[in-house]
Amino acid sequence: MGDKSSDLVQGTLDMLVLKTLALEAMHGYGITIRIEQMSRGVFRLNAGSLFLAIQRLERDGLIESEWKPTENNRRAKYYALTQKGRKRLDNETREWGRQVAAIARILEAS
Amino acid sequence: MSLLRNITTGLRSLFRKEQVDRELDDELRAYQEMATEKKMKDGMSRQEALRAVRLERGSLEVSKEIVRSGGWESIVDTLWRDVRFGARTLRKSPGFTAVVVLTLALGIGANTAIFTLIDAVMLKSLPVPNPAQLYRLGDNNNCCVMDGTQQNGGSFVLYSYQLYEDLRDHTPEFTELAAFESHLSNLSVRRHGGSSVEPYRGEYVSGNYFKMFGVRAFGGRLLAPPDDSQSAPRVAVMSYHTWLQHFGLDPSAIGSTFNINGVPCTIAGVAPPGFYGDTLRGDPPDFWLALAANDEDRWLFAPEFEWLYVIGRLRPDVVPEHVQARLTGELQQWLNAHREIIPERDRGDIPKQHVHLTAAPSGVDWMQTDYAAGLHLLVTIVALVLLIACANIANLLLARGSANRSQTAVRLALGAPRSRVIQQMLIESVLLALGGGAAGLYVAYAGTHAILLLAFRGANYVPIDARPSLPVLGFSIFLSLVTGIVFGILPAWTASKSDPLDALRGAGRSKGDRASLLQKPLVIAQVAFSIVLLIAAGLVTQSLRNLEDQKFGFATEGRLIVKISPSLAGYTVDKLAGLYERLEEALPRIPGVLSDSLSWYTPLDGDNSNERVYIEGKAPDYRWTAPSWDRVGPHYFETIGTRLLQGRTIDERDTPGAPRVAVINETFARRFFPNENPIGQHLGMGDVSHSGDFEIVGIVEDAKYQDTRGPAYATFFLPLLQTPPGGPLAGWVYAIELRVAGKPQNIEPAVRKALAEVDPNLPVLSVMSFGEHVARNFNQERLIARLAELFGLLALILACVGLYGVTAYAVARRTNEIGLRMALGADRRSVLGLVLRAALTQLGLGLAIGIPAALAGSYLLANQLYGVESYDPIILGLAVVVLAGCAMFAAFVPARRASRIDPIVALRYE
Repeated sequence: MGDKSSDLVQGTLDMLVLKTLALEAMHGYGITIRIEQMSRGVFRLNAGSLFLAIQRLERDGLIESEWKPTENNRRAKYYALTQKGRKRLDNETREWGRQVAAIARILEAS
Repeated sequence: MSLLRNITTGLRSLFRKEQVDRELDDELRAYQEMATEKKMKDGMSRQEALRAVRLERGSLEVSKEIVRSGGWESIVDTLWRDVRFGARTLRKSPGFTAVVVLTLALGIGANTAIFTLIDAVMLKSLPVPNPAQLYRLGDNNNCCVMDGTQQNGGSFVLYSYQLYEDLRDHTPEFTELAAFESHLSNLSVRRHGGSSVEPYRGEYVSGNYFKMFGVRAFGGRLLAPPDDSQSAPRVAVMSYHTWLQHFGLDPSAIGSTFNINGVPCTIAGVAPPGFYGDTLRGDPPDFWLALAANDEDRWLFAPEFEWLYVIGRLRPDVVPEHVQARLTGELQQWLNAHREIIPERDRGDIPKQHVHLTAAPSGVDWMQTDYAAGLHLLVTIVALVLLIACANIANLLLARGSANRSQTAVRLALGAPRSRVIQQMLIESVLLALGGGAAGLYVAYAGTHAILLLAFRGANYVPIDARPSLPVLGFSIFLSLVTGIVFGILPAWTASKSDPLDALRGAGRSKGDRASLLQKPLVIAQVAFSIVLLIAAGLVTQSLRNLEDQKFGFATEGRLIVKISPSLAGYTVDKLAGLYERLEEALPRIPGVLSDSLSWYTPLDGDNSNERVYIEGKAPDYRWTAPSWDRVGPHYFETIGTRLLQGRTIDERDTPGAPRVAVINETFARRFFPNENPIGQHLGMGDVSHSGDFEIVGIVEDAKYQDTRGPAYATFFLPLLQTPPGGPLAGWVYAIELRVAGKPQNIEPAVRKALAEVDPNLPVLSVMSFGEHVARNFNQERLIARLAELFGLLALILACVGLYGVTAYAVARRTNEIGLRMALGADRRSVLGLVLRAALTQLGLGLAIGIPAALAGSYLLANQLYGVESYDPIILGLAVVVLAGCAMFAAFVPARRASRIDPIVALRYE
């Protein structure tokens, strides 16, 4: 029952949210489910941290929002990546890859 | 861009809080619903699903709180909430708030007022471009007309016109070197077509005066070098303030012709607003005229008359020390080339004569020098007041912090973070401090006004702005914030440190706590500061009283002094006798006038003339300062109340053609005739050949004419119009003295009417009672005495409030201890003693520290005191009695309350 999201590396939640939105616009719950599915249950998000990250991204102009009806005919706020957000995601993905590779090299060196 | 977006969204959620909140709420609710539906689809009941979602994802409220606290606006929001809460709390205890705000307002206001004054008087430069380039030739304020070498170790300050021209033309290091009269002159001004003559103040300046200062005309043009010639048409420049006050900014005044001192004169232009000339003083010049327009043209051409101050604008690339050396060289050269005009007695001093080039960004430092000692004393006093005020505030905040301890404990126990508790209390004290600061600004504005009125009693216009200047404003706000933060943090810190459990249990209620450990030294300090202020106030008040009530050698009651100026009305020497005759005829007819007289100088008028005398049959004696002299009409001594000691006074017999006579005062008699009878001896002025001119016919008692603190000067008096051939000029009358029945002010209209009948053109410069006339000599002393009294009283009240507060707080804290004592047999008297003893200890310790400090401090004050020793035992005793009396009363009130405690109620109270 632990709040696994605290295990997320600092600052990676923003990147994950951006990645999730790269395919299509989504509402908050959708993002949660998608991240949990893709991580195969390793990451668990609580609502507070998620919406805090969303608020941050929106204020930075990386995502934008719109109220729309859901498939179950409920109203929800959908988030989509902006041009700037797409660029940021590319940069961060590249940077993340470099760092992970570097860390791996260090850890593998014996 | 994103910063901007961040700010705008932040602002949106601040100002459209409800809408933003609703939106977040909707979103989170939708999120929760979706999660719940999912769980229900997996087979849970709605109840179970809701619970599971709350556990997994966090509750709605907590999530909201997390999101809300993420933006910067949430900090503003909590701050704002704390501010509103703080304001509400303060409103709920209006007594406490009022005392703190008032204390701060007085402390900060007094300081801001004094610093505004200091800023204006001591620090501000002249309102001209690049004032730092201005340098003055000379370092003191000797006035007004001299000859020969100069005093103060040979530092030249007063220059003849010729010497000024020589220096101006031979010192290229100055872009401009300007000269001006060392004092202002009275002018009689009649606007063209106007009927009445009005008195104004004017200054004679060199043609390049305005160019040197670098100011531009507000309207018309300013004086220029071609105007400064006797053949040039007469022009004058009006000050902006005069244009505003007397001519209603009338544009037609510029270029029109005024009659100034009987001569037609064109108003060339108006000086810029704020420009008050070369010297900061009350009633600055209304008009500036060229030096060449001076009536005394001999001053312009005779190299022996030294009457000008000189200020120049130095080129930016020169070193002042080099210029100073060069000027001294030029001065020496000039003096040596003009040895014939230097009196023999001074010739030996020529090598010592030098020019001290002093930076003059604020022009002639007249007020700066005059008021320096007084202002420094005031700064010390207000700093003490502020310390006392701060100690008082600290005390009140400490007591309040301790009283709120259980409330703080409850908050902590309910989970409030310490930082929030401290923030809350800090905000409260900052609010108080800002309130005090704002109120203090008002006090400062009003205070500066009052101080200016006191300092410039009698002046119609003071070119000092009473508005606190920006740096002063910053200073006072900083001061109030620091006070609030320092003394707000202490109780907040102590309170937040306390263990909530202890506090809730009521521990520390009857034993000494940290707050009272701090409070007692604060009260002791307050008592110490107060006694210092009270003693200082006592000393300066007594000194002022001694000055005002001293034996002046004349009587001020029931007397009126009228200042006139026949020279401004165009009188020439030959017409004076007729004028005086008509005056002497008209004055006694004014109803209520008992006796009247005319004179050149009148006592304590701020002006005085001295001249060497030669006694018949004695060698010239240069050891003494030349004696003062005056010309007076019949009944002069009777009218001003100076007693005749021997012989006779000057009377109707002493007409211009009669045998020439003189009256001397005691000091003159003692100095020049130590062992002989002066009556019948002869004296004269100018040189030894004149020593037989005047026969001494009487001796009058000493009277003070110039210096109010020192002994009277040796003085001789001559009849108004008796002038030997080749002797001193005939007497111009500038003052009329009247002894009247009833209030002197009441007959002013009758006097003005009588004078207008004698000559409607005769300018009446002022009419005032002799008492007021003398009182204006003590403006500075009065200012300091009144302020010291005010601040002393303030300190006394604050100290008593402090002692009351601490005692009352102790009583409240010890209520059940006292109840217990009484239950165990203590009577009311011993309870009273218990409480009073604590207060007495603090009072005693405060006095023990304060009295030696006051003695040390008043030792520094000694040279400003008149007729009172700095350790005056009566003043010291009085101050102690007053302070102790008030303090004991302040402590007695809560002590009595303690002794009335009902033990049963007190014990049940727990």
